Amino acid sequence: MGAAIQFQINTGSAEPIYRQLMDQLRRRVAAGQWLAGQELPSVRELALLLAVNPMTISKAYGLLELEGLLERRRGLPMVIAAGHAGPARARDRIGQLEPTLQRAAAEARELGIPKPQALALFERLLDATPTGAPR
Amino acid sequence: MTPSLSLPPSNAGLVLSAAGALPDAAPSIEIEGLQLAYAGRPVLQGLDWRLQPGQVVGLLGRNGAGKTSLLEALLGLRDTQAGSVRLFGQPATQLDNAARSRIGYVPQASDLFEELRADELLAYFRSFYPCWNAAKVEGLMERWAVPRDIEIGRMSGGQQQRLSIIRALAHEPDLLVLDEPVASLDPLARRDFLRELVGQVLERSTTVVFSTHILSDLERVAFNVAFLKAGRIALQAPLDELLESTRLIVCGDVQTVAQIDAVPGLQVLGHQHGRSLVRFPNGGLAEAGLPATLMAQRASLEDLFELLT
Repeated sequence: MGAAIQFQINTGSAEPIYRQLMDQLRRRVAAGQWLAGQELPSVRELALLLAVNPMTISKAYGLLELEGLLERRRGLPMVIAAGHAGPARARDRIGQLEPTLQRAAAEARELGIPKPQALALFERLLDATPTGAPR
Repeated sequence: MTPSLSLPPSNAGLVLSAAGALPDAAPSIEIEGLQLAYAGRPVLQGLDWRLQPGQVVGLLGRNGAGKTSLLEALLGLRDTQAGSVRLFGQPATQLDNAARSRIGYVPQASDLFEELRADELLAYFRSFYPCWNAAKVEGLMERWAVPRDIEIGRMSGGQQQRLSIIRALAHEPDLLVLDEPVASLDPLARRDFLRELVGQVLERSTTVVFSTHILSDLERVAFNVAFLKAGRIALQAPLDELLESTRLIVCGDVQTVAQIDAVPGLQVLGHQHGRSLVRFPNGGLAEAGLPATLMAQRASLEDLFELLT
């Protein structure tokens, strides 16, 4: 059994809500917290729970289905697709971190922070996090 | 609506393409060239706007931009100087009863009869509408704790607003016009109202026009946003698409302006306080074509509001 499937959204961000939902699901599945076969809330349930336009939820679910992360079953709730039975391979998980680091890299360049200092900072942050991923 | 043979070909084409997307569907709202002025001061200046059935559109504009005037004019409640407004295909000022009963409206200022009690008011309105949903009304009155035994004039602003919302939802409208419906509601009541709105959209594919300054509410429920500026709808688009395809550029100096101008195909959508909002036409992702030296950043809805209204 994986962890309960729950979503959170932040308003006021530059990240559209459907993107936030997709990113959360991708991360939880990659980390092995939400597992193949787990049922998702229906579009209706999630729209009412989050007080969000149902089209936004449908859009996120539809795109995740195209990515192969979700499976649609006739007349039944969607599930996390087969093949996501545990944590993703390290390479895939690193791939998910890349966009965040790309943004960090862009900001480091804008701020004119030299590479060694930026790397040292990242290293320090990794060490400081008590619940960091296994290294 | 079925296309009639007497229609000129250009109209027939329009009807056919609309029918292809959604059967039986005249646009819920169709406004063309609307002009409205108060004592010679122009408010709406040749405004065009069209909402398809089932669209949920957030209307954004600064104080005094004319949002309330626009919503009142589209309901046929204001005399306009020029242009046309059609609701469900009928002129807004000459709606028949059937069309009228498909509309729900929550005005900015309470228009409830202050000397009546809530039950009396609801009983009065009930007599006008064939599809009054008494169960829904009872449920909401209960859930939103609207007092039944005191005069409406003595209720708090929030209670009056809740009652006004209940009245607007009671007859299962196909078009909901909401003018700052949540201004006096606390955050929990607002969330509950949004849920009700989402439920309405789920059940009936209600068309919704929603004007508010509470951007977080709009972000949740409005799939499309429309920006009212200088008497016209300056832009209407899905919010997701705008957040993804636009970029902000800090643009304080002549050099940067020249740099922006030099990017082929780049549109400048707005400029305020030394910041420009840019986008490539066709909603293409902005990053690829922008020189790194412009330091483009993503925009939030608040940024869009600042730069587009």
